[in-house]
Amino acid sequence: MNCSICGVDHFSAPGRGRATPAGERSCPYQGVPYTGLRAGHDQIYFGRWRRMDATSIDLQRAYHQLERLLNGIAVALETEDIPAARLDLGKAVEALHTAGPGEGGLEALRYLDHALSYAHRVIGDLLHEKGLPPHSPADFAGWYDAGEVPFREDW
Amino acid sequence: MIPLDRYPKEISLRDDARVVLRPMIPEDTDGLWIFLRQLPEIDKAHFHDDVDRREAVDRWAKTPDYEAVLPILAIRGDRIVGTATLYRNKTGWKQRIGIVRILIAPDHRHLGLGTAMIREIRHLGEKVALNYLMAEVIEEQQSAVRALERMGFEKAVVYRNFVNDRKGHLHNLVVLLHPMSSLEKEIFY
Repeated sequence: MNCSICGVDHFSAPGRGRATPAGERSCPYQGVPYTGLRAGHDQIYFGRWRRMDATSIDLQRAYHQLERLLNGIAVALETEDIPAARLDLGKAVEALHTAGPGEGGLEALRYLDHALSYAHRVIGDLLHEKGLPPHSPADFAGWYDAGEVPFREDW
Repeated sequence: MIPLDRYPKEISLRDDARVVLRPMIPEDTDGLWIFLRQLPEIDKAHFHDDVDRREAVDRWAKTPDYEAVLPILAIRGDRIVGTATLYRNKTGWKQRIGIVRILIAPDHRHLGLGTAMIREIRHLGEKVALNYLMAEVIEEQQSAVRALERMGFEKAVVYRNFVNDRKGHLHNLVVLLHPMSSLEKEIFY
């Protein structure tokens, strides 16, 4: 069930939890800027499509989730003057189209991954303009069925 | 003219520290001197002047020419903790190529400050319609190389045993390029 705050399907509590002690859902993105974009990014980042046993349905789902994420980013960028982010968004859209909606195989996976990386960079640009540090999916890994979180070093 | 109306700009780091970004002014000489003295030798290898000499730092800080050299400082409290400098040629065939140099105080690394500084320079480069940003990094500075790559820079070439540090030891030089949106417009329109 999708969270009513961020709009994506994550655990109700960190560490595979299904509910808070009070029996209610909580959302790790509540109150953070660009809630929907961050959650939308992480839903794809930790999605099943990246697993070894991913099916074509998982890939199609990732494609459509990315499409929605990029649309959301485009809306957020409309009111911002960040040319580099617009360029990256264009690259993300191009990579997504190259991956294709129903395509399987390593090439499609690679292009979906590229599109997601560009999207992550644009979200970082939006946050930077607000004076905030970049979004780190690792901070939210406990709320997803994430096997292994790739190490991302910051500079 | 390079637009500087976004400064001063306050940003948060991963440890929640607040840092102010703004262009360097002549009054920053003392802070810059202290900052440069904290840096490891390898980070100072690229300077044309000996920045261990106070007069070289004075000369750099006291005669700013933002159209040619724009140093953006990261200041925490009253301490300089990072610099990002955009070098440009006013004329000639490289006038639409900006050279980027970023220095981060050792105790402020891995907090996202370097990435934030790259974002600032990328933004400024877009505003002055550069075609490329170019960064030159010694290969041992792997955190910097990875951060630049994550921000859209691509390795153009690695020169083997190409540059020497201040003790004379040779190092590989990684040259990274970042194509800017004005380049895409020139190619496609």
